[in-house]
Amino acid sequence: MPKIATTVGATAVVVGSLLGAPSAGAAQVDTDITVDVSVAPPAPQRPAVQLLDCEGFTGAMGCGPGWFWRDGWRGWACYPC
Amino acid sequence: MKKLSMVSLGGLAAAAALTTVGLGTAVAQPDYGALPVNPNAITDSSAYVPMPPVLNPDGQQGVEQEFNHRDGSRGITTTIVVLPSAQDATGSMNAWQSRLGSVVANQTSQPVPVGTGGTWVTGTSPDGSQSVGVLLFTEANAAVEVQFDGPANDPVPADLVTQYGQDQVAAIHRQLGM
Repeated sequence: MPKIATTVGATAVVVGSLLGAPSAGAAQVDTDITVDVSVAPPAPQRPAVQLLDCEGFTGAMGCGPGWFWRDGWRGWACYPC
Repeated sequence: MKKLSMVSLGGLAAAAALTTVGLGTAVAQPDYGALPVNPNAITDSSAYVPMPPVLNPDGQQGVEQEFNHRDGSRGITTTIVVLPSAQDATGSMNAWQSRLGSVVANQTSQPVPVGTGGTWVTGTSPDGSQSVGVLLFTEANAAVEVQFDGPANDPVPADLVTQYGQDQVAAIHRQLGM
């Protein structure tokens, strides 16, 4: 009985070391990618805004290009320039 | 058999006529004062200040009401007259249109999908200082004229006119049962 326990314990040690090996290898690959700064993507740039509305800005009410906030036929609203 | 049917139909028609007359006398006078559509309702705004409605303008059964923009730059005047028949309503609308020359200069006219005979006449005031648009249509035996006065460089948008007219048609159906 003690002999069987010893055999099982030894087998577990061997299997455990085999299972751990691929994991270690994978971690190694990841480390290689992150440390390679030459292929890192460029930092995102701020979106370009084209100023086209009546007064050259998007306005407090955010009417957007080509529209103007004023009190017209429909009351206060965005109207075409 | 044919004769009997005719008699029966005649009897039914007479009964229907009597019923109609009876109902007509029983129904209370419609509240014409609430008939014009308030532009604030269709613009989802509080831009317009309604003036008190004038009942039976020029001695005709109906109502006239002005809605003035709060900044005084534009106004909407709605006139509705209720006549004995649809033919009379058409005649009234045609008479209005024939007199538009004194109100709208440089006229252009186009049909619009509002009521019956919906017509949209645009131009300027005779002195050219304002834009003027007039919507004309009939609905059953009601004739409707809506005048839009505004800045010369800012005429009323056509889609607003159509929307207003269609809402006015619905109000006539709802309140006069036409």
